[in-house]
This record gives sequence, structure tokens and C-alpha cells, in this order.
Amino acid sequence: MNIYLNGQLTKLAEPPMTLEHALALYLTENDQQQSFAVAVNSDFVAKAQYAHTQLQEGDSVDVLFPIQGG
Amino acid sequence: MSLTIYGTSVNSRLLIGSALYPSPEIMKQAILASGAQVVTLSLKRQNPAQQAGAKIWQYIQEVVNQQQGYLLPNTAGCKSAKEAVTLAKMSREIFQTNWIKLEVIGDDYNLQPDPIELLSATEQLLADGFNVLPYCTDDLVLCQRLYDLGCQVIMPWASPIGTGKGLINPYNLETIRLRLPEATLILDAGIGKPSDACLAMEMGYDAVLLNSAIALADSPVVMAKAFALALQAGEQAYVGGIMEQRQTAHPSTPTLDTPFWHQSRG
Repeated sequence: MNIYLNGQLTKLAEPPMTLEHALALYLTENDQQQSFAVAVNSDFVAKAQYAHTQLQEGDSVDVLFPIQGG
Repeated sequence: MSLTIYGTSVNSRLLIGSALYPSPEIMKQAILASGAQVVTLSLKRQNPAQQAGAKIWQYIQEVVNQQQGYLLPNTAGCKSAKEAVTLAKMSREIFQTNWIKLEVIGDDYNLQPDPIELLSATEQLLADGFNVLPYCTDDLVLCQRLYDLGCQVIMPWASPIGTGKGLINPYNLETIRLRLPEATLILDAGIGKPSDACLAMEMGYDAVLLNSAIALADSPVVMAKAFALALQAGEQAYVGGIMEQRQTAHPSTPTLDTPFWHQSRG
């Protein structure tokens, strides 16, 4: 099963998989220590819902981090 | 005199962006020099190989803590109400604030806000408990609609983002101030020099939000101080009450007992 993680095609090793599991497997260790928020298919997913969000084939997962802005 | 943003008082009427500085350290020093307590920032996908974003976030946190200030996340880059609403919710979770600088861009050439999508996103976010600071054009009716929806703060542009062209339509901006006397008006985007900020404050605007004019100056720290002074001057000028322009000349010095007065008539 494939998903798009920040736009990059990513093959899930153990489908089906929760969002929580996917983030643990595919985010770098450094990224996991940063502040971030997640959207799946352009809908916000609260942290409390990561473990309850089942990823589907072709899902688009966006992980966003703080950055400078005007 | 303090500025009130959705019930929160801040001492500075300058809100400042955190982007485009030559270095994170210069950003920090410039923000400190400006005296600004509200700092804008954003959310983006981060390239795992490049950790510059994390470092910037550390600097922003440091300077905001030092200023006893507040974060103002934006929705830069969003082109629809749905995108902006999603990004606002993500920002609220990370930054733990209901404030959102709402940007919904409708045109890539001049980065002009899309008024239709902006109104839609504003309505949704206000209903969800956000304190929306909408970035909009200098259109009176659009500003009125935003105010009617419940926005206590409205942020019309001076000119397109990053142009430094200053107040391209002072009449529109003055009219918005006149027609929305109760709204907190923050002039956002397009400011190029301190006199632009001063002019906005002389018009009775409550504050100015800018980034490029300081970040892209030869010396951002010096320019930050210049903007702080310009804002103070403009605000005091508004409070002091600017004289009305007159069509004809009037001598400043009393003419009574002027030596040689009308002497040539003799």
C-alpha cells in the first residue's frame, strides 16, 4: 500500500497502518522531536487522533513544522 | 498607549515578521530592536535533510519569550478557504494560540487576497473559536463584511506583499478608518519605509505589520529602531491632532509691529 508523505510516494511496509505508526516509522528521529502538526487528505488530524486514524491506499499525509513567516 | 488584540494588550504597535533576515541572529536582534511583541511565523513541510526550520523556530521562541510577546501564525500560501482552515487548525495545535493571520491568496502575480475565500474561511474559523486577523485588500465593503462577521481586527494591505511601495491608495485606507471607527485596523503588507508606517498611524490606524522593510534593509537592526520611532511619531501625531490644510498662505509670525511694514507705500 502506498501513501504520499509530504508529497513523496511512500510504500508502507506493514499495511494496514495507523497514522501514529506511519509517523513513527517514516519521520526521521529528529523530526519526531520537533513540534509538528498533521493533515491527511488536506484535513487536520489532532494528535489525539493519530492512533485512531487508519491510513488508506493513496492517502496524502502532510506533516508541517514551524518556520519563519511574514 | 497599548494596542489591544482580541482582549490582549501589547505595548508596541508594530507587529513584525520573522522571515527574510540575513541570519537567525540578525532576526532576533532586529525584533528586539523593534520592540515588537507580536511575531508572525508559518508552517511548512520541512526537508528532513535541512534543519534550518527547527533552528529558526528556536530563535523565534527565544525572542518572543524575551519580549514577553505573542506568536501570530499565518496561513501564507493558502489559495482556498479549505486550505486556510486546515492550516489554521494545525497552527493552533502547535502554537497553542487562537490567533491566526488569515491569508488566502487569489492571484499569483500580486499575491492579492481572494475576498470570497477569505470571507468563507473567516466565518468558519470564527465559528470554531479562532481570533481571526484577516489580511485583505483596501476594499471598504470587504472590510465591513469582515467586521460584521465578528472580526475585531482587520488588516488591509498598503500595497502587495514585499513590494515596499507604501500606501498606494491612501483614500481607501482613510475611508476604512473613517467608516469602521470601532475596528482595530492594522496596516499589513507593502510598507517600504518608516514614513509609510508613520503615515498609517497619522491616519489613525492602530498598528502596522511588516517584515520585508526591516529584513531586507542594509541594516535590519537599525531599520527596526527607525520603524519603532516612526510608529511612535505617527501615533502621537494622531493623538495630538493634525492641523487642517489651508489653501492660502498664512504668516506664522505676527505682522503687527513688523519693522518697515508697508514702508514702501510712503
